[in-house]
Amino acid sequence: MSHDNKTEQTVLVDELEGLKTDLLTLNMGPQHPATHGVLRIEIKTDSEIIASAKPYLGYLHRCMEKHSENLDYRGIIPFVDRMDYLAAMNQELGYCIAVEKMLNLEIPRRAEVIRVICAELGRIASHLMFFGTYLIDLGAFTPFLYAFNEREKILRLFEEVSGARLLYNYIWIGGVWNDFTSEHLTRVGEICDALHQQLSQYENLVTGNQIFLGRVSNVAVMNEELCYAYGATGPVLRGAGVKWDLRKNRPYSIYPELDFDIPVGKGEMGTLGDCYDRYYVRMMEMRESIKILRQCLDLIEEGPIMAKVPKVLKLPPGEIYHRTEAARGELGIHLISEGEKKPYRLKIKSPCFTHVSMLPAVAKGLMIADFVAAVGSIDIVLGEVDR
Amino acid sequence: MSHDSVEWEETDDVLTIRKYFSNIFKGFFSCLKGLSITTRYIWAEKPVTIEYPEVKEILPERSRSRLFNDVDDCISCTQCALACPVDCIYIDSEKREETEPQLKTSNGMPIKLNLTQFSIDTALCCYCGLCTTVCPTECLTHTTDYEYSQFTLASMKYDYLDEDVKSWKSRLKK
Amino acid sequence: MFDELLSDLKAKFPSVSIELDKREVGDSVLIVDAASLFEVSQYLKESTRWDFNVLQVITGHDLPPDFIAVTYILASYRQNSELLLRVKLGRQNPKVKSVVPLWPAANFQERECYDMLGVQFEGHPDLRRILCPEDWEGFPLRKDYKAAESYNGMEIYPQEKLNLADRQFGKKGQKSVEVTETVE
Repeated sequence: MSHDNKTEQTVLVDELEGLKTDLLTLNMGPQHPATHGVLRIEIKTDSEIIASAKPYLGYLHRCMEKHSENLDYRGIIPFVDRMDYLAAMNQELGYCIAVEKMLNLEIPRRAEVIRVICAELGRIASHLMFFGTYLIDLGAFTPFLYAFNEREKILRLFEEVSGARLLYNYIWIGGVWNDFTSEHLTRVGEICDALHQQLSQYENLVTGNQIFLGRVSNVAVMNEELCYAYGATGPVLRGAGVKWDLRKNRPYSIYPELDFDIPVGKGEMGTLGDCYDRYYVRMMEMRESIKILRQCLDLIEEGPIMAKVPKVLKLPPGEIYHRTEAARGELGIHLISEGEKKPYRLKIKSPCFTHVSMLPAVAKGLMIADFVAAVGSIDIVLGEVDR
Repeated sequence: MSHDSVEWEETDDVLTIRKYFSNIFKGFFSCLKGLSITTRYIWAEKPVTIEYPEVKEILPERSRSRLFNDVDDCISCTQCALACPVDCIYIDSEKREETEPQLKTSNGMPIKLNLTQFSIDTALCCYCGLCTTVCPTECLTHTTDYEYSQFTLASMKYDYLDEDVKSWKSRLKK
Repeated sequence: MFDELLSDLKAKFPSVSIELDKREVGDSVLIVDAASLFEVSQYLKESTRWDFNVLQVITGHDLPPDFIAVTYILASYRQNSELLLRVKLGRQNPKVKSVVPLWPAANFQERECYDMLGVQFEGHPDLRRILCPEDWEGFPLRKDYKAAESYNGMEIYPQEKLNLADRQFGKKGQKSVEVTETVE
């Protein structure tokens, strides 16, 4: 009996040997809701499991670096906004600090505090956007509406102060454009209080949810080694358990005076460096930003908001590479000047570009639905990837 | 099978009956916790959206929306056109004859040039606000108009010397 | 830090020309031979003293008429330092050994550098254009780049969208607007 069985099996195996199967090619994007913009990823799958993923970029390439070679230093700020349109304040801050370092400018105290307030509000707005859209990727709709409600308050404040909701052109070389009135400052305090309450609600709603945890824990592990190899920064690196934040490690602006922690992933719900850790780091960062905002409200003092900047701005010949901590990671500005009114070369090191290059490394062996979770967890903004 | 198949790594933990039911239990109660929050929103929270276009939002004063140039105050200095990062402002002017009466802007600057063209291609404009900050007579301003969509790109180009556009002044200037 | 690094590198690689471009404003740059870039960066990565474990970015800029410079910005997250490492390549046939075996991060960065400036990275696993389409002609960030007239039958600068009449008109006045802008 058993002998017969064996032959039957061998026959079956032989028949299957003759059958040829192939990997299935699947295009995710460019018009895919889970790619947060226009990213195309060519996936080769074996049934549900991904064999390889290949990102194709460039659908949102707007030649920002070439354009800026024909613009004066002030005119570049609106272009810098349009890279990471979800946290434009942080981008402006990075660019302006790089130019100011070249000019050796002293920024008035009030302007510095206002800049940090704006950057932290921008970071919160961006992380709220992440919270909302990431859960949409995973199939939950309601958190998105709640997050947008809070984000709207921040955008409205920005609109009242700077005049625009997303692309502010507010932080200028040498200071800021408009002043915060005392009413605006009270509003910042109110936003902090409301958000503090909301965050614990989000935690009840989402973070403890078993279905959510099932989707994100142990998925797409980016460990410390991988992060260093690919140059990952920001929440991705911190999610891998590395305590590295430029605001603490290479401080700029008034960050050295402020007291805050760097949240790192702990691997509580699975492996260290999985999607949950990256989510967790961002949620905790919002709490730290609230802490920073409250300190800034105490630190702010009356004074001018613009330093004396020459009307025709010419940078001395030289170059600078300056890194700041934007919402998605380290934003590097490499500026080469030849002493003209226009930069000779402006290169932006965008964190998302690096993070997209990590996707092929983690994709292998994931299920397609888990890959969506992985793409969402690195929080890409395609405007910044393609520039 | 002879193909380059991909192995899916199974995790070490085995699904026991106990784990299976505890998963269901945890899933059910954590969802219930979430649902209690969402149900509260049905009655306890007021809607935050407005019903556009029945209700129209008034934008904040500093809001940067449609550009308006008060041509009577313009001294044709072309500062705005130079500051514009996308080059969407076109200005042309000619010298005023000395026989013509002397004109002054509302803040006392003498007008030495006759403006013959002032047009802005709003379709190109990026609403950065740099042109308004350099204007010496503050005649070029961002207004808080926001309903001005058009069907063609050509109609997005405004000629501010046009009588129609000039007539916005009474509505926009405070 | 730079002087120490320079003397250390000179002792380690006596035959390689390494110079330090020290600037009063901004950052200083270490310029090395293109031929020995791989060895130098391997040493910088693996030595415990310098420990540049992260490649931040690879950027290039055009220096007509002779050179294209490629800058490797390295950072150490353990030592908290950063370094700008530069090679100068001939403009006619810019070629340098790829550093992908050292830092996988270089994969996309080198592709971008190739896309924008046409630098050939030898030994790169997949050197294709990354931001521009595959069949795009020319390298946009070179200073003498002129955009083609059309791409795949599509006009690149449609005349009716350029407000040409206005620009010519403005030229008579005070502002001289360049009609032929060099945009990628």
